[in-house]
Amino acid sequence: MNTWSLYNAFALPTLGVWIVAFLLYVFSKKTNWANIFTLVGLLIYTGYIILLWINLERPPMRTMGETRLWYSFFLVFVGFVSHIRWKYKWLMSYSLVVAAVFVIINIAKPEIQSKNLMPALQSVWFVPHVTAYMLSYALLGAATITGFRLLFVKKDSNNADLIRFTDNIVYIGFGLLMLGMLMGAVWAKEAWGTYWSWDPKETWAFVTAAAYLVYIHLRWNDRYIRQALWILPIAFICLMITWKGVNYLPSAKNSIHVYGGE
Amino acid sequence: MQYPFCANNTKGVCFYKKSVYIKKMSDNNSKKIIWKQPWHFPESILIVLGLYATGILLQLTAGIFNFTNLAWPVNIVIGLLSVVAVFLISLRKNSLFFQWLAGAPLSISFIAILLIQTMIMGFTPQIQGKLTTIPDFFDLVGFTRMTSSWPFVLTYLGALMALSAAIINRLRKPVWSAYAFYLNHIGLYVFLFSAGFGASDLRRYVMYVEEKAEYPEWRVYNDKKEVLELPLAITLNDFVMEEYEPKLAIIDIKTGDAQPQTAPEYYQIDMRNPKSVINGWELQVDTFYAQAVRNSGFTYRPIDMPGSAPAAYIRLRNLTTNEQIRGWVCSGNFAQLYMPLSINEQYSLVMTRPEPKRYASDVEVINSKGNIKNAIVEVNKPLRIGSWTIYQHGYDEEAGRASEYSSFELVYDPWIWGVYAGIIMSAIGSVSLFWIGNKKRKEAKK
Repeated sequence: MNTWSLYNAFALPTLGVWIVAFLLYVFSKKTNWANIFTLVGLLIYTGYIILLWINLERPPMRTMGETRLWYSFFLVFVGFVSHIRWKYKWLMSYSLVVAAVFVIINIAKPEIQSKNLMPALQSVWFVPHVTAYMLSYALLGAATITGFRLLFVKKDSNNADLIRFTDNIVYIGFGLLMLGMLMGAVWAKEAWGTYWSWDPKETWAFVTAAAYLVYIHLRWNDRYIRQALWILPIAFICLMITWKGVNYLPSAKNSIHVYGGE
Repeated sequence: MQYPFCANNTKGVCFYKKSVYIKKMSDNNSKKIIWKQPWHFPESILIVLGLYATGILLQLTAGIFNFTNLAWPVNIVIGLLSVVAVFLISLRKNSLFFQWLAGAPLSISFIAILLIQTMIMGFTPQIQGKLTTIPDFFDLVGFTRMTSSWPFVLTYLGALMALSAAIINRLRKPVWSAYAFYLNHIGLYVFLFSAGFGASDLRRYVMYVEEKAEYPEWRVYNDKKEVLELPLAITLNDFVMEEYEPKLAIIDIKTGDAQPQTAPEYYQIDMRNPKSVINGWELQVDTFYAQAVRNSGFTYRPIDMPGSAPAAYIRLRNLTTNEQIRGWVCSGNFAQLYMPLSINEQYSLVMTRPEPKRYASDVEVINSKGNIKNAIVEVNKPLRIGSWTIYQHGYDEEAGRASEYSSFELVYDPWIWGVYAGIIMSAIGSVSLFWIGNKKRKEAKK
């Protein structure tokens, strides 16, 4: 029997409880019920993954639809663990939204590969590589905003909680940035025969990572807090060049990361 | 009491021992004299810049850094020497020099200089292999071949040594709570060591193998297009390719641009949904043959053979004038002419060449020991045999599915296991960053 025909029976309840959890995180002060709803959704979804695994008699990690299952699972899992640890409701609700989007994509087109995906992109690394980066970009973008508040808004400039918050989202964002890069390296080795080729996009990814490393190391000592905070907008500009700007640089005219449209 | 060289100005993890630091600072306090221990940012920046300047001088006098000079076993000897040197320095008790070598100011200076160099690299088109033009300033200082330039190689090595010092420093009194530090720093070290020193032993060749050739192929080309012979031979049993359905577009005959000019519209043939609208024309696909050849007239019949191409019978209706046009279109290929459907003097409906969905080679690989391996090699699915990895590289793009050869990239990388080990450690370290956050600060706050 095709396990995918059962997908909606698991996905719709998951989606339902996650929506409730999301609303509770946003509108309710207490998070106990939201946490329970999140976990119930996660358990239902995990149940489906296990079922699929058993029926396929192989790990369900081959097709795009299968990798999206894992992505939703990991997002909520990581978001939940971070939430329990750090009490960042916003991070949890953000993870739920992105996870829900991927659940919905699988309902709309279960398992079907995107049309005309060139052979090099047809890999299990595609989804996690890109999504780790997307999540990282979102967090580091948030860090840039809090960094500006610390630098320019007088009443915030000595807000210890905001400093800690900025540090933490840079740490988490940087962790995801590294994960995206490392998965990209493993994938590149499979597809192109080399894990790192100093392609313009890779070069700028290195620059971006180095810039956030400077921030992290400068934060070792509170003496350099303002210098460190100034690194954040610079690093974010590098990040934007990596993500979007690279396509317009003369150095990138032969980039293997630039996938033209038509 | 302030501890400016310790985390958060508290008595936690310090770059310098408190007693040593206080003594030194009292000698060197009211006005910090440069080059007097303990060293800090000014000395770190000057030393890193000095190393960089040395690199520039070497670059100008000796030219580009030749990685073949570092081929095995030179690379492992230099690599181990660098570790041993740092380790010996660490043995000196209360060495302020070692504390500086392992400290954040030097690390930050090294990260910054690598950042600046890669940023220049990101803006400058890089040249592979030898220069073909008269060298300009950027070529002379190595900006156009950054990763092979002396300043880059020297600062990379310097950063590796500073990193090893930081690791050795923390390993002198190992604690479980610093697991994220160990994973991230050792992982990065192993990765940079293997990738940097391994670059000299990496070999990449391209091999072209003809289908059903009489003998296995063992000749390859290097990046200078020289022919070499390998202890490894490949026989190509079959090359297969699957294609996506072709697309339809309306083009301007004179310019070839797809219409509408500003936002070109394409319709990818899909017989479950054979209707679409492009640029004011409603189109309907009546018949579609993925593999067809032309009859003597303007019609097509379905035949799957080398040289057949996709063809479709299309009906067009203008949405404003209700004008109707019908006829065959064909994408064409190396064997057949393409067939447009003329709309008027300015526009035609055309079929694009299908894009490859998947291509794969059924191969038999034999090495010098006589071991034989049969496998299907395709993009993202390479074949490993010893320290060699065989990748699907290309095919005759003009012939497409009918390609009579397949090309492979053969990569020899004995250091790859170090790279993977570094990647795995760093990946676990990255995940642990989610958990610890900036833990030091949190504890200090308590």
